[in-house]
Amino acid sequence: MSFVCTRRRIAGLVLSMLALLTAAVSAQKIEFSAAERSRILTHGPWPPAPALDPGNAWAGRAEAIALGQRLFFDTRLSPDARLACASCHQPALAFADGRARSLGRVELERNAPSLWNAVHERWLGWDGAADSLWSQALRPLLEPRELGSNAAQLRRWLAQDRDLACRWAASFGTLADDDKVLLVQAAKALGAFVGSLQSAATPFDHFRDALAADDGPAQARYPASAQRGLRLFVGRGRCHLCHSGPRFSNGEFADIGAGFFVRPGQVDPGRHGGIQDLHRSEFTLLSHWADAPGETALKTRHVSPQHRNFGEFKVPSLRNVALTAPYLHDGRVPTLAAMVRHYSELDLDRLHADGERILEPLRLSGDEQADLQAFLRSLGDAGARRWQRPVLPTCRR
Amino acid sequence: MKALVAGLFGLLLSALSTHATQAADCGQQLDARQRREIRTPRHLLVFAPSPAPLALGRHFGLDIVVCPRAGASLPLALKVDADMPAHRHGMNYRATVQTLGEGRYRAEGLFLHMPGRWRLLFDLSADGRLERLSHEVDLE
Repeated sequence: MSFVCTRRRIAGLVLSMLALLTAAVSAQKIEFSAAERSRILTHGPWPPAPALDPGNAWAGRAEAIALGQRLFFDTRLSPDARLACASCHQPALAFADGRARSLGRVELERNAPSLWNAVHERWLGWDGAADSLWSQALRPLLEPRELGSNAAQLRRWLAQDRDLACRWAASFGTLADDDKVLLVQAAKALGAFVGSLQSAATPFDHFRDALAADDGPAQARYPASAQRGLRLFVGRGRCHLCHSGPRFSNGEFADIGAGFFVRPGQVDPGRHGGIQDLHRSEFTLLSHWADAPGETALKTRHVSPQHRNFGEFKVPSLRNVALTAPYLHDGRVPTLAAMVRHYSELDLDRLHADGERILEPLRLSGDEQADLQAFLRSLGDAGARRWQRPVLPTCRR
Repeated sequence: MKALVAGLFGLLLSALSTHATQAADCGQQLDARQRREIRTPRHLLVFAPSPAPLALGRHFGLDIVVCPRAGASLPLALKVDADMPAHRHGMNYRATVQTLGEGRYRAEGLFLHMPGRWRLLFDLSADGRLERLSHEVDLE
């Protein structure tokens, strides 16, 4: 009698526990509609198919990545040995610098974007003035207010540093006499290194994959607040219209009413100026400096400035967004909370009068703003601020 | 006189049947799975994208065939564009159109950068008139 009773008690206990567990799981798992599910799935999978810096024959080559790493972290790339690429793109700060506006030889006009996943960008820089990583690398390299370097400095450094000279020879052979060739080679090595930086899967990606696989328990491990934030992102917020795809960016440009005065009387023309700079540049994918760019040059061939491009800036990727404050092209928004508030309280009068009509103030409650932040934080790869410089094998030639 | 009328009638029938044949055959060389057509009283425009199907954030081109109807002429010029009326914006890229002869064209450089409803726009300039043809596309 007591044995049967005990068995019944155990069975009852197990059933109760199962019921509790089911309740707990269902409490943490939002049922997304078919349309929401479909939109969510477009934000993956991650990582995407590998990409290479376009028009860069050295992209993906181990010896060029190693050379690029040496160039990137060494201040001897600048004539007075004060600045390196890593001065504004610091691994411990997710390859950004944490400042509103970057500090070159003077304070600059724009915020340093993170370099994670930059190889997947269609255009580089807040104004998209470069169409490849290597052509982008030339800009800070030569800009007097940034590294302010030149071919003579590079030659001096190569003459003094046997390891660097060895790595250079491994990639490019004999040192070129032509200064432009030398500088483009340096830029292509930098492009190869930056192109190797791809962040890992995030809590969102695990959730997205669980959703694709219909794995309820795995979906429930994704925090409920992040799920609610995700629903806002692909729903009422319509954030996914511009922050689309696995990188959470359509790679294009938009006016979000941020304002574009650098200082009184001086404006940053944003994308409009970027396209003009691109057309003026002799180092694009349409130039003879590009190695077999193929169809990657279509964008450069067909882009042309439009009036509405004034004051448009790059739609940034939201991967690792919580790790890369402050925000916007000039870093005027200090925190993620303030960024969400910007969209919640958007001032439509600040938008371009003849621009697109997509944005409207979201009027989010405090809880909704917290949910959206929770979702955005879930786009962070925990390793994105812990990148360790690989120890390079000794160069022997 | 009767012979003249009969001759003229025959010519008219022949012209009409040529147009009918042209319309029926219009764009048959394009990939049947991707082919779309737009009809107006004056023209039949058939196009197929490549690469296909159309995808968000990927440059594509269009193979286009225009066949005149009801006595219209082949267009002297064809412009191709796209827009999102609901968002009040167009493309960020300017498409180019190459005339290949006999009503065939190749447009390059189109790019749809946002999910939602787009219109592909074809501006035909023929017989001193400008005619706009459009085709809606939904992208997720």
